[in-house]
Amino acid sequence: MGDIVVLLKAALNPEMVRSKPDGTLDQDAIPLKLSDIDRNAVEEAAKLKQKLGGKVIGIMVLTVGPMAKREKDLKMAVQEALAKGVDEAIVVADDRLTPGDQVQTAKIIAEVIRNSGINPSIILASEATIDETTGQIPGRVAAKLGLPYISFARSIEVADGKIIAERDLEEELEKVEAELPVVVSVTQEINQPRPPTLIQIRRAARKPQKRLGADDVKQAIGTKRVILERRIVTINRKQQIIEGSNLEEIADKLIEILEKEGVIKL
Amino acid sequence: MKALIVAEYTRDALEGIKAAKTLATGSTILLVFGPASTEAENLSGLVDKVYTLPSRNPEAVYNALRRVYEDEKPDLILGVVSKNVKDSLSRLAGAYDLPMSTEVLEASVEDGSVKYKRGILSERAYSIEKVPMPAIILFNPRIFEPEEARPGGEVVKLDEGDTKVKQIGISKKQLSGVKLEEAEIVVGVGRGFKKKEDLKLAFELAELLGGQVGGSRPIAADFKWLPEDAWIGISGKRISPKLYIAIGISGAPQHMSAVMGSKVIVAVNKDKNAPIFKQADYGVVADLYQFLPILIKKIRERKG
Ligand SMILES: Cc1cc2nc3c(=O)[nH]c(=O)nc-3n(C[C@H](O)[C@H](O)[C@H](O)COP(=O)(O)OP(=O)(O)OC[C@H]3O[C@@H](n4cnc5c(N)ncnc54)[C@H](O)[C@@H]3O)c2cc1C
Ligand SMILES: Nc1ncnc2c1ncn2[C@@H]1O[C@H](COP(=O)(O)O)[C@@H](O)[C@H]1O
Repeated sequence: MGDIVVLLKAALNPEMVRSKPDGTLDQDAIPLKLSDIDRNAVEEAAKLKQKLGGKVIGIMVLTVGPMAKREKDLKMAVQEALAKGVDEAIVVADDRLTPGDQVQTAKIIAEVIRNSGINPSIILASEATIDETTGQIPGRVAAKLGLPYISFARSIEVADGKIIAERDLEEELEKVEAELPVVVSVTQEINQPRPPTLIQIRRAARKPQKRLGADDVKQAIGTKRVILERRIVTINRKQQIIEGSNLEEIADKLIEILEKEGVIKL
Repeated sequence: MKALIVAEYTRDALEGIKAAKTLATGSTILLVFGPASTEAENLSGLVDKVYTLPSRNPEAVYNALRRVYEDEKPDLILGVVSKNVKDSLSRLAGAYDLPMSTEVLEASVEDGSVKYKRGILSERAYSIEKVPMPAIILFNPRIFEPEEARPGGEVVKLDEGDTKVKQIGISKKQLSGVKLEEAEIVVGVGRGFKKKEDLKLAFELAELLGGQVGGSRPIAADFKWLPEDAWIGISGKRISPKLYIAIGISGAPQHMSAVMGSKVIVAVNKDKNAPIFKQADYGVVADLYQFLPILIKKIRERKG
């Protein structure tokens, strides 16, 4: 088994959106975290390694700056991946590469894979991130490396240099087969990520990490996207908790409120 | 201006053609694959040329797309999001370093670039961005009125090319056909329910109110306690009923962004700190197993 590569994004956390008084997004104040479904990709990588051997290499490209503000979150995201099964992390972070668009990010990832002595048998990514949710990075990387691509995999099985995967389509489950190496994007349903053990967390700190900057990926510098405006979606809800001395009373109150709102007719 | 529309489903092709005609004037080319390919003739009168590929293997579509891209040199590649469309176009985007935006809500074309709006941060925010053409823009479904199909144009057949990923099986998902997006009252169930049988509480409530039952992603996609067409959220269905009652749902952005069109949102959760209470009109802090039987009993009594 060659290397198992996992693509990891430190994404803006949608549970902690922050805005300025005029409603524009205060992006610098929004923390980053390891994107949710990337955890499933890491879990799947760890399972593959357990079965087939090989080394799990995580690649993370910082796409939102400023670096000075992101160091802590970036470190946490990398630590988490290392604790959950990544053996070695390559982090590309440089203010000259932020804000990064998908054209640039895919170029960087492809360049890192080509130039870092990596010999991938499988490249795992998630179906979509929590911030940009475009689901396009794995397909771009596959095309750049000239590798076959299996998207939206709900289950995978690797044996004898081959992969069999179940793709989750709108109305069907499609079973496909390909020879390694291959790029795979996984869905949230593929596994249940396990929380790391204390020993895993302690070991994570000692695992190798490589830091790369813009000079290491010169071919990739430059973006095509210009961000003109970002605003939060305002949520205007009453947020009223229905109180009462017992559940009977609360149920009565709720029914009356809903009748008054005109949304139920009994 | 030349637009290339890519579609897997006929309805998406008709919306894509409408989108192309709304965005820009110039020539329009359509590439239909998989299920939509059988309608190539029928659609051909709407555009200057139709390319058709029976396969829906995204690798075959990508092979075909590269050839069409080289031959036609489109400025804009348009479509409506579906999984195979995203897959094949993300590869084209990678091969030619084209900007690509998905789940787009609106777009306009001005001097060599496309400006568009899309949700970000799991739709907690939106972003207005601009990219130079050629670019790929995939709209959310149901934004454009579909064109009326019209035959009578040129159809060119494409072949699959060499594919390394082979289909070895396909099975239909169990879908119920429930149309949550049209329901006036929706009862949403989440992981607060401990087992499938317990959902009967939600079904009973929905039936009393004349509503439908939907669920969070784990309930529908992971546990399969509901059919997948009852999956509510940004990767499932977007709903805008008069009343949404979310029971045992925590209020993750990927779920809540898709129910914000509801007139009134009620949340039942036993954790008073659950994020859903900040996104609901009315909250009941209670164990659903205690509260639902009482609520059902009360509604029954009132209905007489
Ligand atoms: C890219 C992406 C796309 C996604 N798309 C979707 C999507 O389309 N739809 C979707 O739903 N999710 C989606 N998710 C998943 C989402 O992030 C959440 O994981 C999911 O919505 C959580 O479901 P839940 O609220 O049912 O479960 P949980 O978050 O586990 O919440 C369960 C809730 O039930 C409460 N509870 C427990 N027991 C009881 C009881 N006895 N009585 C009352 N309350 C109780 C708990 O307090 C808790 O708040 C997506 C995630 C990602 C990363
Ligand atoms: N900046 C990044 N660095 C490393 N991997 C990424 C990055 N952006 C996206 N990916 C991978 O591609 C997946 C899909 O991302 P996206 O196309 O942005 O929705 C993510 O879940 C990651 O696995």
